[in-house]
Amino acid sequence: MDFDFTDDQTALRDAVARWVEKGFSFERRHAIAKAGGKTREVYAELAGLGLTGLAIPESHGGMGFGAVEAMVVMEELGRGLVNAPYAAGALVAPTLLSAAPAELRRAWLPKMAGGQVLVVLAHQERAARYRLHHVSTRATAAGSGHVLTGAKGIVPAGDEADLFIVPARLSGADTDAGGIGLFLVERGASGASVRGYPTQDGARAAELHLAATPATLITADGGALLDQAADVGNAAVCAEAVGLMDKLIAVTVEYMNTRKQFGATLATFQALRHRIADVKMQLELGRSMSYFASMKLGEPAPQRRRALSQAKVQLGQSMRFVGQQCIQLHGGIGVTDEYVGSHYFKRLAMLELAYGDTMHHLGEVSDRMQDTAGVFA
Amino acid sequence: MDLNFTADELAFRSEIHAWVAANLPKDISHKVHNALHLTRDDMQRWARILGAKGWHGYAWPKQFGGPGWNAVQRHLFEEECARAGSPRIVPFGPVMVAPVIMAFGTPEQQKRHLPGIMSGDVWWSQGYSEPGSGSDLASLKCRAERRGNSYIVNGQKTWTTLGQYGEWIFCLVRTSNEGKPQTGISFLLIDMKSPGITVRPIITMDGAHEVNEVWFDNVEVPAENLVGEENKGWNYAKFLLAHERTGIADVNRTKRELERLKRIAKAEGLYDDGRFRDQIALLEVDVVALEMLVLRVLSAEKSGKASLDVAGLLKIRGSEIQQRYTELLMLAGGPYSTPFIREAMEAGWQGDQALGGLWPGGAAHCVPLGATYFNYRKTTIYGGSNEVQRNIVAQTVLG
Repeated sequence: MDFDFTDDQTALRDAVARWVEKGFSFERRHAIAKAGGKTREVYAELAGLGLTGLAIPESHGGMGFGAVEAMVVMEELGRGLVNAPYAAGALVAPTLLSAAPAELRRAWLPKMAGGQVLVVLAHQERAARYRLHHVSTRATAAGSGHVLTGAKGIVPAGDEADLFIVPARLSGADTDAGGIGLFLVERGASGASVRGYPTQDGARAAELHLAATPATLITADGGALLDQAADVGNAAVCAEAVGLMDKLIAVTVEYMNTRKQFGATLATFQALRHRIADVKMQLELGRSMSYFASMKLGEPAPQRRRALSQAKVQLGQSMRFVGQQCIQLHGGIGVTDEYVGSHYFKRLAMLELAYGDTMHHLGEVSDRMQDTAGVFA
Repeated sequence: MDLNFTADELAFRSEIHAWVAANLPKDISHKVHNALHLTRDDMQRWARILGAKGWHGYAWPKQFGGPGWNAVQRHLFEEECARAGSPRIVPFGPVMVAPVIMAFGTPEQQKRHLPGIMSGDVWWSQGYSEPGSGSDLASLKCRAERRGNSYIVNGQKTWTTLGQYGEWIFCLVRTSNEGKPQTGISFLLIDMKSPGITVRPIITMDGAHEVNEVWFDNVEVPAENLVGEENKGWNYAKFLLAHERTGIADVNRTKRELERLKRIAKAEGLYDDGRFRDQIALLEVDVVALEMLVLRVLSAEKSGKASLDVAGLLKIRGSEIQQRYTELLMLAGGPYSTPFIREAMEAGWQGDQALGGLWPGGAAHCVPLGATYFNYRKTTIYGGSNEVQRNIVAQTVLG
């Protein structure tokens, strides 16, 4: 048992932090958000650091790093409030493509590693909420391949992505766990239409409509892989939230030690001091469970799924509490668009909704409950 | 970064597991697993079994006859003991006063007191709180006046846990009124058989006699029983607090109690009730998060690379979770948590049958649940109330 970071992991963290400091100010984020949330340029800069190849095997031009390195990068991107589809393009998509036939991996993974190509998962359907296996989009055989018909929503950076990984049903009813295929769809493919829009947290998403759209099969047995990719996405969400909370608390502490009311700094009032203690509690519980999430990613599916749901229940609560309290502790300035705090708050709020909210995952923990309890249960 | 214990640590755990399984008396573990009343004999029997193995002072260095385990090994020992249903080690001797005697006591004091603490033969109590000094402990007034080769002690201590069994008591006493309150306090070891000591029970709302008042009326204490220097006692008390790291979270016992909650929820037909089950799930997440926080502290201690100052957080969270599981246990018992039958807390109580017909299927396991809920209100108050802990945490964050 060891929770220390290696020197290489610390160097990776420092490299991301240095880039944030030099290249990603709040002013830049704010300007991107005001301009509609296009972030492909930011993604390209992360590619310039080699980060888009983080999770891709060295044999395909990546760095072949693991879950802890991904966590380290996500924490720093969170701390810097970096606006880019990094988790979607560099962590989730490579997980899904790991099961693709060799020629497909050879064709796309090196370009993904280099950041020339952005691939994102397009799985959300209107009626599915957070149920990953609720898939109405249909796949039918056509010639040597397949065509897909259906609609996917809230696709991250959807109108900036080059390809989509689309879960579509090869057989069975909409809610069956089996019969889900994963397909690669090019943005410009015939019958595919994409409508983008800004998101609450200053980025973009899109609706993707598919009408007999040609698609390349990644795997016909995609349900379990989809679960795994969502777990990778959730671990990234947890880590990003830790970075966000860490920085938002630091900003709040600085404000409390500066702002005076009734002739004294806010930091001197016990009611507010106790609230900061509670905020610190949620941060450290959240950080602990973010570590837990990343370290459990390599476990067999039942343990991994349960652990990731447990982590998201903690992080979901932590990010909501820390976000809300830090805004409250600021008073009026906290609710303004010009102040950085509100942007941390909005990002935290949206992260809770990614890959299943707290209530959803609480249900998962409940369903997967065993007689034993604890980290090693 | 690796969540798993090393092969050596796992082998250590197996060794402890096997030893506890072979040596923990079944009648005692039965009581612990069912939250029944533990007698003085139960507690001391287990202390002596541990003592004979040299594990009653399981956190002690080798130099004083302890096993010299590191933080992870100590955690694994606590975990195996908790899981097997061993009684909590009464901390006042081996966990609290012994480290102070080791660090600040004279060789004579060490020779005189440490063996009896390790063996489990001598029962120690703690004399800190006073009626006027709770959270503001430094305001304590119990006086010790030097007269020749003795101190004459007058005053009152309170909340003395299991003091009715105490043979020795370590006390913070006022030896000076000069300067700040903290600088006039001394650390005295007092034989509870000394003339002038009176122990009076305090009955808590669960009907239990767990805590006491201890009165000192011109009690003569040999000056050789002063630990360290006069008026430096506050430093030793703080040292003791710093010594207590992860144990305060009590996560290992909490895991066992969570398992008990699941068993009782099943017996009461609540396990498949989604609303109740979700409450257990929420608690389970809290427990895993607390355990992860504890493991982070242990890892930091083991490697010495990063220091993690979260003792306040562990106290707050650990105690809140303890209260939450006692709350859910009582709710699981539902209406059958209502009866107040002290005898139902004793092992082998046959009242369920005696009241036969009233409780078809048996409800005896529900009867202790109300009392435990009431008893555990103490956890957020003792050891520095959670509000004082929040002050400490806030200090680390805000300055």
